[in-house]
Amino acid sequence: MSENQKKILEMLANKKISVDEAYRLLNALKTETGAPEGGGSAGMTGKPKPKYLRVCVAPRRGHKHEGHEHEEHEHEGHEHDEEAEVVNVRVPMALIRSGMKFTSLLPSEARDKVNDALHEKGINLDMRNMKPEDLEEIISALDDLEVNVVNDEEVVRVFVE
Amino acid sequence: MKRPPVLMRVQIRGEERKFCLWLPLFLLVPLAILLLIILSPVILIAVIIVRKRGRGRWLSPVARTSLGILCSVRGIRAACDVLCSMPGLRIDVCNNKERVYVSII
Repeated sequence: MSENQKKILEMLANKKISVDEAYRLLNALKTETGAPEGGGSAGMTGKPKPKYLRVCVAPRRGHKHEGHEHEEHEHEGHEHDEEAEVVNVRVPMALIRSGMKFTSLLPSEARDKVNDALHEKGINLDMRNMKPEDLEEIISALDDLEVNVVNDEEVVRVFVE
Repeated sequence: MKRPPVLMRVQIRGEERKFCLWLPLFLLVPLAILLLIILSPVILIAVIIVRKRGRGRWLSPVARTSLGILCSVRGIRAACDVLCSMPGLRIDVCNNKERVYVSII
C-alpha cells in the first residue's frame, strides 16, 4: 500500500472525506500510477502498448512465412516459387511518431501542395489543421489496426504488435 | 528513453555471393557531429539566403536570421528524434535466391 492510499484511508477514517470521495480518489490514484507500473500497459485496459507496425507479405502456398511465426532464419531452405517474395518489415511506432512530427516543419507552400494533392485523391484533410494531439490520436488508433489481404498468390498482413 | 542506434546489420544474399555487414553506428555519431560543426557556416548562409527570398521578408535581418537558425535547430532536433527512434527497425525481403535484410539495433 502506497503512502497516498494510506492518507486517503486515514482521511476516510477521520471522516474528512466521504466513502464516495475516497473511492474516486483511490481510482484516480490507480489510474495515475497504473501506466508506469504496468511496464508499457495502455492505461486501465491492461492491453500492452504496441511497439511495432508490421507489414508482412508472404506467398499463400503453405502459409509458411506468415505473421508472428516468421523469423529471420526461417526462409532459408524453404521451397517456393522463385518469383514469390517474402517481405517482412517491422517499423517501431516511435519512428512513425517522430516521422509524423515532421509535418510541423513543412513550409506553408509545401503544405498547400500536399493539401491539393490529397483533395485530388478525394481525401478531405487539411494539413494546416493537424495538431500534435491529432497525430497522437491517429497513432493510438493504430492499436486496433489489422489489415489482411489475401489473393491467390499472396497474403498481405498489416498489423501492430 | 530514446537512445541512438548502436549497430546496423545489413545482409545481402545473391545467387553466388553472400555479404553480411555489421555497421557500428555509434562510431558514426562523433563524425556526424563533426560534420555538422563544419557545415554550420554553410547552413547559416543557406538560412540567410532562404530567409531573404522566402517567408518573413518584412522582418528585420537579425530577426529573420534568428528565426532561420531556430527553424534549422528544430529541423536538426526532428532529424535526431527520427534517428533515435530507429532501433528496432527491421526490413527483410527475400525470395528463393536472394535476400536483403537490414536491421537497426
